Amino acid sequence: MNALLLVARREIVAQVRTRAFAIGLAVMVLLVGGATFAPKLFGGPDSYALGTVGTSALQIQDAKWTTYRDEASATKALKDGDVDAVIAGKKVLSNGELDPKLDALLQSANAQAQIKAAGLTITPLNVVSVGPGADAEHTRRGLAFIVVLVLFMLIISTPMMVAMGVVEEKGSRIVEILFTTVRPWQLLGGKILGLGAVGLINLAGVIAAGLVAATASGLAADLPPGLAGIVAGVVVWFILGYTFFAALAAALGSLVSRQEEVGNALAPMTTLIVVAYGVAFYALGDPGSTVARVVSLLPPFSAIVMPVRTAAADVALWEVAVSGVLLLAAVAGIVLLGARIYERAVLRTGARVRIGDVLKSS
Amino acid sequence: MSPEVADIGVYCCHLPLGTLGGMLETVELRKSFGRPVLDGVSLAVRPGEVFGFVGANGAGKTTTMRIVMGVLTPDGGEVRWQGEPLDFAARRTFGYLPEERGLYQKMRVAEQITYFGRLHGLTPQAAARATGALVERLGLAERANETVQALSLGNQQRVQLAVALVHDPAVLVLDEPFSGLDPLAVDALGEVLRERARGGVPVIFSSHQLELVERLCDSVGIIANGRIVAGGTVDELRAGGRTLTEIFRQAAMGEAAK
Ligand SMILES: Nc1ncnc2c1ncn2[C@@H]1O[C@H](COP(=O)(O)OP(=O)(O)O)[C@@H](O)[C@H]1O
Ligand SMILES: [Mg+2]
Repeated sequence: MNALLLVARREIVAQVRTRAFAIGLAVMVLLVGGATFAPKLFGGPDSYALGTVGTSALQIQDAKWTTYRDEASATKALKDGDVDAVIAGKKVLSNGELDPKLDALLQSANAQAQIKAAGLTITPLNVVSVGPGADAEHTRRGLAFIVVLVLFMLIISTPMMVAMGVVEEKGSRIVEILFTTVRPWQLLGGKILGLGAVGLINLAGVIAAGLVAATASGLAADLPPGLAGIVAGVVVWFILGYTFFAALAAALGSLVSRQEEVGNALAPMTTLIVVAYGVAFYALGDPGSTVARVVSLLPPFSAIVMPVRTAAADVALWEVAVSGVLLLAAVAGIVLLGARIYERAVLRTGARVRIGDVLKSS
Repeated sequence: MSPEVADIGVYCCHLPLGTLGGMLETVELRKSFGRPVLDGVSLAVRPGEVFGFVGANGAGKTTTMRIVMGVLTPDGGEVRWQGEPLDFAARRTFGYLPEERGLYQKMRVAEQITYFGRLHGLTPQAAARATGALVERLGLAERANETVQALSLGNQQRVQLAVALVHDPAVLVLDEPFSGLDPLAVDALGEVLRERARGGVPVIFSSHQLELVERLCDSVGIIANGRIVAGGTVDELRAGGRTLTEIFRQAAMGEAAK
């Protein structure tokens, strides 16, 4: 096996075995699964439990009917919350205010029943939507929100692992031994590849959790039709964004020799990501705004903002293409520059290395 | 028989023919960190020879070895192996124990040794076999599945040595391999080095422990202030009736007097 793949495999095994990996994955799965399932818990019910006293049931879709002997037992069932409303003759009994949607349903079903009884038939109006339904719109925003959150967490934490790995090898001088048998680009490339795979495992777990929760809660019906495309897009943007920030993190990390200094050294990277996150949040509310459109073309911010825009609304194909090409070029540039800095700085232990010094010396 | 062949025969009469000329040399190495640290260091380690590299703290031993291993680039001079300038591909066959030990603390002992074997180009089977043998030989068998951080420093040092030996190196470069070892471990390591040398490998190690060097080495190079001030086989150096310690002290003083 080639040295780069050996390095990548070591990284994957080392990470996947840690408790932090298991906990991190569990937290994200719960968070995303929960966020997807939450509307079901807090939103209105999809079906009603209805009762009758001495009358026959009405034609209402998805309603479950119970027959009560008298108003007293119906009242008890209402108070216990076993039933949403009970029709008793010309009255509708409810516990407190009747849900307006249910009220409308009952009135219209009642009207239809009486019209039918009178021997007339009516053709109900058929609603045909020319835009996305409010539910679908809502769901799509929710989806985009989850995408922002997940990309933010993964794009900040995975490159952080790259930097920590670089510093581990530099600080302990393992690089001295490694470089006698692998090239710097093999070590760096293997590390970025391996930890990227770990990031993808996380992402896959989160996507699976989201889809399972969406299906279980019935939310999946409201998901936009191009969902597979959106998910595939998120994965591609993640790979590009991750590679960009991982190369940056490796370069910045290679400047210091101790784990305590990593956070500080990575400050320029975290700032970039937080800015991208801020814009992405804004784009969530107004995906078609000029700011969102411009920033979603600008690397490296585009790595986070563009997938959020595509999740939140439909984006013209040319915008996606331009954004992708620009980001790809930026990734190539930062990988070359980052590898150069890394290679020169990682053997200079001791005090923090200044980027200027590294780039000057040949 | 031509004179050159006879000459080589003196050094390596006990070696198989294939290793003839497997000599490690440094030629006039120069390095400066603001001020000169190596000032024309030339050494030659013959195949099958254990070479002791001796000098006071800061004399330039580590810098020389790091240049040999490609961790540093010299300002002048070169490293030669088998008569050719040493390149990356050839250096991959070397084994190196750096002065500042470095291992993956959270990786298990056997996995770590195997990993380095693989990086040096061994097949999975060969790496596993070599790891098994080394773990046995270095008394780490019971610790093979523990993480490195759980080991005592002495045992970590053994793992470090195993990492340097796993690919059956063509040359051994060991920077202060005996520091921090108890007397039993010193003897065991000395035996391992002699054994590798008997296999035709040039072995160079740095040390402060002069009686150890005298006991273990075929040749010695004494470095002071970045210059080789004395060198030769142990027998040659002792021919004047002085101990290595006396020679060393005199060489160091001579340098200081300058
Ligand atoms: N990276 C470095 N930067 C500056 N000076 C260094 C560096 N490495 C070594 N030196 C200096 O070079 C000299 C030789 O060091 P070294 O080769 O480690 O000596 P030894 O191993 O013989 O004790 C010392 O004075 C040391 O301070
Ligand atoms: Mg030293």
